[in-house]
Amino acid sequence: MKVRFWGVRGSVATPGPAYLRYGGNTTAVEVRTETENRLLIDLGTGVTQLARELMDGEFGRGEGVLPILLTHTHLDHIQGLPFFTPFFVRGNQTRIIGPEPTELSLTETLQNHLNPHYSPLYGLENLAAGVRVETIEDGASVELSGFRVRAAAMPHGGMASLGFRIEADGEALAFIGDVEYPDTGPLSTALELAHGVDLLIHDAMFTDEAYALRRGWGHSPVSDAIAVAESAGAKHLALFHHNPDATDDDVDAIVAWAAKRSRVPVFAASEGPAFSLKALSSKA
Amino acid sequence: MRRDPLDYYAVKVTFWGVRGSYPVPGPSTVKYGGHTSCVEVRTESGACLIIDAGTGLRALGQELALQQQRGEKDSRYDLVLSHVHWDHIQGLPFFEPAYLEGTHITIHGLRVATEELRHVITGITRREFFPVRLEAVPADFDFHEVTPQRPFCIQSFEILPFALNHPFGAVGYRVDADGTSIAYVSDTAPFTDVLHKQHFLPGPEIPTPEDKRALDEMQRSLIEALTGVDTVIYDTHFLPEEYERFPHFGHSSPDHALDMCTGIGVRRLVLYHHAPSHTDDMMDDIADHYADRGKALGLEVITARERMELDVGPNAAREASS
Ligand SMILES: [Zn+2]
Ligand SMILES: [Zn+2]
Repeated sequence: MKVRFWGVRGSVATPGPAYLRYGGNTTAVEVRTETENRLLIDLGTGVTQLARELMDGEFGRGEGVLPILLTHTHLDHIQGLPFFTPFFVRGNQTRIIGPEPTELSLTETLQNHLNPHYSPLYGLENLAAGVRVETIEDGASVELSGFRVRAAAMPHGGMASLGFRIEADGEALAFIGDVEYPDTGPLSTALELAHGVDLLIHDAMFTDEAYALRRGWGHSPVSDAIAVAESAGAKHLALFHHNPDATDDDVDAIVAWAAKRSRVPVFAASEGPAFSLKALSSKA
Repeated sequence: MRRDPLDYYAVKVTFWGVRGSYPVPGPSTVKYGGHTSCVEVRTESGACLIIDAGTGLRALGQELALQQQRGEKDSRYDLVLSHVHWDHIQGLPFFEPAYLEGTHITIHGLRVATEELRHVITGITRREFFPVRLEAVPADFDFHEVTPQRPFCIQSFEILPFALNHPFGAVGYRVDADGTSIAYVSDTAPFTDVLHKQHFLPGPEIPTPEDKRALDEMQRSLIEALTGVDTVIYDTHFLPEEYERFPHFGHSSPDHALDMCTGIGVRRLVLYHHAPSHTDDMMDDIADHYADRGKALGLEVITARERMELDVGPNAAREASS
């Protein structure tokens, strides 16, 4: 499998010179198999960049296939939706697979996001590609264009956010992008998702110091990301969902801090070229 | 001793977000900035008006919260919205003064359809979208629904809202203070090709004779509002060739803005709401090209950059003409 981070930032996009190395776009992660099947995680602002690349290929001709896993519907995870141009080309087969968030259905929530007050699209029905919206239950598995995906609901402040285990090409990765564990520590469901994965991508929005003042905000301290990687036997850990106030230098410092403590090789997710999980292992 | 009004700049305008549609991080927007719409207007006496609440509002809020905590600024805020498309409101949940005890925020905006402004604004922080509900933050909120052509006063600002041509409705504002004036004209399409109403446009819709009359009327009241204004900030999202492809998207080109602002006593035009695809290099070209075009027409044309501060007022005008 290959992974490309198109958006690694949490809460709000951060343009500006202090965020150029890790990137300022909100959550968007592309996963590809050796045979070039694609999967996308979340629709943050990063997908506007991915869209340009996709439109140069089969998606520009209406021949693209793209399943999109949605962790949850907080704005930083869906704000790229109205600008993801593959949705506007008839023929593209796009589906959004996410959680049933609350008393509203996932479709209703996405419709709300595109309601004419907020968006000139007026509604999902105006996406020419005809996007399908489906939900996946906590603990369920699904087969998606050559990927095997398992979802598990993670506590994320007042709501749940899905974590995913994704398998293909005989490899596995886990994505747990928005989570705050209870005081008793990481959940067994998180450890199961990440069990033995080649790469764990985990929420690390707060330094441990900052976390002390931000309990209940729905995000993890760096040490929880490390704890999950170590207990689950992950081979690599990518810190993710960087704080919008963390400049490139701040993230450097966080990585240095984590590297000293983590028995699992650790790096911070950054926007940039795709990398294969194999290359990750040969580097270490 | 009373100072001669010509001795100082009356009003300062600061651009905190200049981008349209969505925020654009990355190396190609470092110079002009990647944050979406947000402009601060300040008088020398400290009156402060915030126009639009795009992602640029976050950095402004961080500064204002500091000033408020240090006692350099009162706890009242006035936010004036052109409309509530995401790029104009997505900074609101990140406005730090809202999280301070004792803060009072009044949001002024257009009411469209039957939904109350209060309901539309609180809807952006519904629990599916954001972890903290607007009703739950320490600040208290007031909502003031504005009507085109019905002037109102905020602090020492006199404000005239006027209708713009944009999907589902938008308003621009003329703001007068301390003997000078600015106008904020964003977002708007020109008033010729398409009339935006309250339904989705998959492509350009030929205007009916009735639509044409509505467009003429909108243009007439816009020109009336802009007449004699010192500095006009205008939605110039598209290059002319881009506009030709997307005349139904609700945005203008700098050429449209020049057309509107020439010959009506406007001193300066600010190009604003840049398309997300416009890199710094493209923006440099646009800035140079339209500065020259403006000069030929007797208009100072500048291109908005994030954190750019503009002095507006008699002194600024005098210096520019000398
Ligand atoms: Zn998030
Ligand atoms: Zn806009």
